[in-house]
Amino acid sequence: MSEFLQHLVNTLVLGGTYALLGIGLTLIFGIMNVVNFTHGVLYTFGAYVMFIVVHQLGLNFFLALPVAVVAGWILGAVIELTLLRPLRGSDIDTTMLVMIGAWIAMQSGALWIWGGVAKSVATPFPEAPLVLGPVSVSWLRLFVLAAAGLLIVVTYLLINRTRLGCAMRATFQDEDTASLMGVNVDLIYTSTFAIGSSLAAAAGALLGPVYVISPQMGDLAAVKAFAIVILGGLGNITGAVIGGFILALAEELGAGYVSSGYRDAMGFLIIIAVLIFKPTGLFARSERIG
Amino acid sequence: MRSVVTILTIAAFASVPLWLRDPYLMNALITTGIFIIAAMSLNLLLGFTGQLSLGHVAFFGIGAYVSALTSLGFDVGLPGGFRVVHDPWPPFAGFVLAIIISGLCGYFVGRLSFRVRGAYFVIVTISFAEVVRLVALNWVELTQGPLALTNIPPMALSLPGFGELALHTKLQNYYLVLVVAVAAYLLITRLVRSHFGRAMRGLMANETLAVSVGIDVTKTLTLAAVISAGIAGAAGSLYAHYIRIIDPEVFAFINTVTMVIMVITGGKGSLAGTIIGGLVFGLMPIVLRPIMAPEAQWIAYGGVLIAILFVLPRGIVPSLTQRLSRPHGKTAAVGRVAFAEHSAKEHA
Amino acid sequence: MRRTIKYVLAAALLSGTASAETIKIGVNEPLTGAFAASGTYVVNGAKIAADEINAKGGILGKKIELVIEDNKSNPTEAAAVAEKLITSDKTPVLMGAWGSSLTLAVMPKLTEYETPMLVETSSSGKITTSGNPYIFRISPPSSVEAAAFKNIVDKLNLKKVDFLVINNDWGRGTADDFGRMFKEKGIGVGLVETMDQGAQDMSAQLSKFKSSDSETIIVTTSVDQLTLIFKQAAALGLKKRIITTGGSQNPDQIIAQAGAAANGTMHLTTFLPWLPDKTPNPEATNYFISEWKKRGFDFAGCTESFRGYDGIRTVAAAIEKAGKAEPAAIKAAFWDVKVKGLNGDIVFHKSGPEGKESGQSQPNVYLIEIEDGKVGLKNL
Repeated sequence: MSEFLQHLVNTLVLGGTYALLGIGLTLIFGIMNVVNFTHGVLYTFGAYVMFIVVHQLGLNFFLALPVAVVAGWILGAVIELTLLRPLRGSDIDTTMLVMIGAWIAMQSGALWIWGGVAKSVATPFPEAPLVLGPVSVSWLRLFVLAAAGLLIVVTYLLINRTRLGCAMRATFQDEDTASLMGVNVDLIYTSTFAIGSSLAAAAGALLGPVYVISPQMGDLAAVKAFAIVILGGLGNITGAVIGGFILALAEELGAGYVSSGYRDAMGFLIIIAVLIFKPTGLFARSERIG
Repeated sequence: MRSVVTILTIAAFASVPLWLRDPYLMNALITTGIFIIAAMSLNLLLGFTGQLSLGHVAFFGIGAYVSALTSLGFDVGLPGGFRVVHDPWPPFAGFVLAIIISGLCGYFVGRLSFRVRGAYFVIVTISFAEVVRLVALNWVELTQGPLALTNIPPMALSLPGFGELALHTKLQNYYLVLVVAVAAYLLITRLVRSHFGRAMRGLMANETLAVSVGIDVTKTLTLAAVISAGIAGAAGSLYAHYIRIIDPEVFAFINTVTMVIMVITGGKGSLAGTIIGGLVFGLMPIVLRPIMAPEAQWIAYGGVLIAILFVLPRGIVPSLTQRLSRPHGKTAAVGRVAFAEHSAKEHA
Repeated sequence: MRRTIKYVLAAALLSGTASAETIKIGVNEPLTGAFAASGTYVVNGAKIAADEINAKGGILGKKIELVIEDNKSNPTEAAAVAEKLITSDKTPVLMGAWGSSLTLAVMPKLTEYETPMLVETSSSGKITTSGNPYIFRISPPSSVEAAAFKNIVDKLNLKKVDFLVINNDWGRGTADDFGRMFKEKGIGVGLVETMDQGAQDMSAQLSKFKSSDSETIIVTTSVDQLTLIFKQAAALGLKKRIITTGGSQNPDQIIAQAGAAANGTMHLTTFLPWLPDKTPNPEATNYFISEWKKRGFDFAGCTESFRGYDGIRTVAAAIEKAGKAEPAAIKAAFWDVKVKGLNGDIVFHKSGPEGKESGQSQPNVYLIEIEDGKVGLKNL
């Protein structure tokens, strides 16, 4: 029983981080219909920004987070303006391949600049965990969970309560009509990609100190993010949050009670099952073919 | 005209070993050739039905494992107390079985995943490849998991009256890959020119319209998936018997990415494009290796990929053919319908 | 662009003239991809050895030249790199290729071109047992580690152990070989859990150990995952004894990151950079460590890089013994080599099917323990 409780606590902590990974990608995937292979690299980028700010500039841990968010926003905007805007209207696979090219080049750039040796970031949180009866959890992970929750709520409000968000939703539903109604679609696309990228960078900055930072760290994160987005439905923030927790639960219970070798298979098996029985994701609002 | 070009191209490739003696470059041509075969099979799906599969390496890897296990033998327990013991068979039997079993997997995956389209199809195929990789990694009794299958024999041909001819040398393997590549090329070309090919292109151009004129969508797509998977399995078998060791890394995502790059940069729906794209990206690492640092080689690889897509957005062969046939640089409408017409013309 | 070409031409000309007077050694290591960090460490260790040898006048009156190529952590590329090194660069001997699947992919090429290779890191048993007479390995397969551990296991008073291993040949091999040894000794074996090579979150596996009835966990993986495991075990309040194997541990990093949780942990290792005076060859160890630090590399890398250093010194010794830089002579000379390595004498013993034996050297194995934030040596 105590093992089960510990698995549930782990799920909560892991699910929060997965949700954060998923929401950035679901915005880009859903609104822009771009299979964004740079998501993992932006995650890595955020983690390295954290490392630079804390260890090379010697600044405060909590200051590094907003710096990473802004840096991710800028890098995302640059990628959109230089690589995606010129290809607007191309096939989904052409833009995807351009994103793959950017992923390969940027990941190798990170390896070139920072080397392959993993870095770790010191945090101001105590080493000893918080113990509650049979379960325990580290303070750092609790902070990450809280910060992830805050970022998710802010993003949700941004999409649902602001003029920009309204325009983004309109573009998602019908780009042509939105454009006719005076929405600056170019601006919406750049903003969407920048917001999605800053969320990826924020996830990297939060999780870098939890794990270790290396040029390869984004690959696995990106795979999980894709799984979460598909579970939740394209462009659906609430769906991505729930998808994140479902994936975490499946992995925890899969590793705990089935076989740790198949831990990562759980997410994929769920995706296959979901898409076969409910092809638009668990919580899709509108079907999108193309 | 087309057949003359085809014959000349085959003759040119066949003459390569006569003037190229460097074993390192021959080795690069053989591995590139194997990936080009796999990429051509991917092009059948992507270029002629418009379905982007990012799990194509699954069929390649299944082919490699089937062929290797057939020629090495195995002894595995199944649920319910059954044991399956298989004694080694000649590698050529492995090659044939690789095609059949990969094709069967293509059938099942096709039936399941063609229920979804677009981005969802992309993710289902990635998921399938990952699940297969994890099975290969964890079913140690059959696949030896991460301990790898080693000492895989080289491909051997059974000639009546001559016994087994094992293909040890680069020259033999080069011609083997060339023969399989030509066979795959001819098969795919025939298929896309047939009734099924027209159905596939119709489907890609406008699915709703195609359905309304009586094209059986699932049947058409499934047939394409089976043949595509079978050819990828053949390529995987060639890989296993040439490299002679396989481990679950054969399912690595980068292998799918390599195939997709070859297809899209060369031009979707153009087999000549896949060959050219394959040669460009298969041989680029050879050119880059001596002139820059290892990390820089990858940056250049990604940069060239982006540059090609910016300059020739429809792929090398379709974009260049179009420019040559319209010397005044009038841009054609880049749409799926126009593209389908183009590929219809190209293969008419 | 033009400048680059000129530079390349100049470099080509230089190396062309240089090759007449140097002895080339091919180095086939992962410098990009998943194993980039480790491959780079090994190459840096190899360079220290080459510089040291050349500073003393080289071998056979010639300087040695390392031809270093990146195998991209990919078996297909590892085979292609071997092909290039042997046929284009004409290196008479290779060192490589870090991971077991990379090395296994190179092996058919060694047979094809009859060129020997020194294997510095790979641990798969198959490398020396599949009848490839061109293989000479200085790293221990897990069976050698298990055999060494068997001698002291009684003193540790183990009752029942769980395993947490990386899901590759190294981790699986350790779980098999150590598990067999424990059963012979009457020690119970409980859970055997795996983690994927890139995995960062092992909390699920560790939570399972928390409620198992074993008192000790054997952990085998790379230094990064070890660090994560110690951190995450501490966060879960997992208070079991942990013994790590595999030799890529870095206790300093573990002490720094896991704090008090590191106390009482034990590590089975093949090199003692923390206690250079306790090593079989203190002089060489001190030289290597000071040179490593002087070049500004992470101290953590020592446990990987010393294999590159030892590897190149062994290859050089073989060339010297052969009297000429030719593959067949070097292959024969490997059998007569005796090098004072950083972790014991490097001498090759026959392993594998008769007539086609590979060479396997038996390095020393040490057990160290962390107590009060300090590394101490346990007597084996």
